[in-house]
Amino acid sequence: MFPDKKFPPTRSAPRYDRLVSLGKNVRDFLHGAAYGRYERELRRQASELNDLFLLLCYMEIVGLPNPATLYLLDVYPYLLDQFHQWHRRMGMERSPLGSLPCC
Amino acid sequence: MAESLHALIGKRVLFFGGKGGVGKTTCASAMALAASQAGRRVLLVSTDPAHSTADMFERPIGPEPVALAPNLHGLEIDGAFEARRYVANVKDHIKDLFGAHILKEAHKQIDLAASMPGAEEMALFDRIGGLIRGEDDRFDLVVFDTAPTGHTLRLIRMPELMEAWIRALSRSRRAMLGIEQDDATDPVMLSLGERLEHLKEFRARLLSPRSCAFVLVMVAERLPIEETARAIEQLGEAGVSIGGLVVNRVLPATSPDPFLRARHDQEQVYLDEIERRFAPHLRVRVPQLPSDVHGMATLQRLARLLTTEKALSS
Repeated sequence: MFPDKKFPPTRSAPRYDRLVSLGKNVRDFLHGAAYGRYERELRRQASELNDLFLLLCYMEIVGLPNPATLYLLDVYPYLLDQFHQWHRRMGMERSPLGSLPCC
Repeated sequence: MAESLHALIGKRVLFFGGKGGVGKTTCASAMALAASQAGRRVLLVSTDPAHSTADMFERPIGPEPVALAPNLHGLEIDGAFEARRYVANVKDHIKDLFGAHILKEAHKQIDLAASMPGAEEMALFDRIGGLIRGEDDRFDLVVFDTAPTGHTLRLIRMPELMEAWIRALSRSRRAMLGIEQDDATDPVMLSLGERLEHLKEFRARLLSPRSCAFVLVMVAERLPIEETARAIEQLGEAGVSIGGLVVNRVLPATSPDPFLRARHDQEQVYLDEIERRFAPHLRVRVPQLPSDVHGMATLQRLARLLTTEKALSS
């Protein structure tokens, strides 16, 4: 009739999992309540600084002379991904700069 | 005047500069020869795009050091060659760090950036910086035969400018990392940091009076005197020490020929002016030689004139 009475140990494992996930949700909730507002602001600031850094690295492409171009050659591969993120964030599906192909 | 450039043989870096046509290449070559004969391992570097060191030594010299005499090598810097070498080095450096896809895109960016105006000058600057830092340990002394003054002064100010630039970039990068909480092993930061170290070392060597000096070459005429005065002022502002002045092609004092005497009388006015205006600096006079200077024999003679303590007196 009540098959679960016959196998009590099988039920304890999912209950434990539920507890863990509940705990995680509570933690995320509290974290969000406490930091959410700041985190958004911090993310915005981070992306602005990121854009500034990219601009400093790629100045020549927008027509500004950059005395350090040659010294940046070996950091370009590291910046490819950031460049991709930038044009996506700016709402452009593909690279807007013909001379700097991305995707 | 019993002065000579002999004391400069012990430096690590010497620059020879001055107005076009006053004999920079001649004096730099003779000085390099004198130092090599004094037992220093010398590299003579021409940075003027219109090289004439090869004509001076009567043998071809290229963008890599070539042996000219015992202890003496020559090098004619070539911007296009240095830019190609620089790009090849970068590509080689990153080839094991990234996947094929990223490398393909990165190579496109690198080629694009290397074709920008100024890239050649920048590669040239990087090579000169390396030589000044003592990158090539086969040499104790590097003698630069520079392009006319303006170009060289810009070159000397460049490490400061570049340092400020790289510093600004690092600051921007650090601010960004601080927020995103990446660790301190950011490869971009590391690369910028290394550049900064090299530039600092370059500038320290350039500004150290113990290791580096600038020799200004001139002839006793109006325009070279004014240019020398400006160069002294600007080098002073940049913080580079003046090793001495060479007054080149001084006419013989006594001549029966009225034309030469007239030239000599005029020259004497300028020589007096040089004595007066440049009194704080060491001055060496080199007489007008009966033949022009090229080839080992005449260079040898000039080397002696530049570096023996009993130089000419007025």
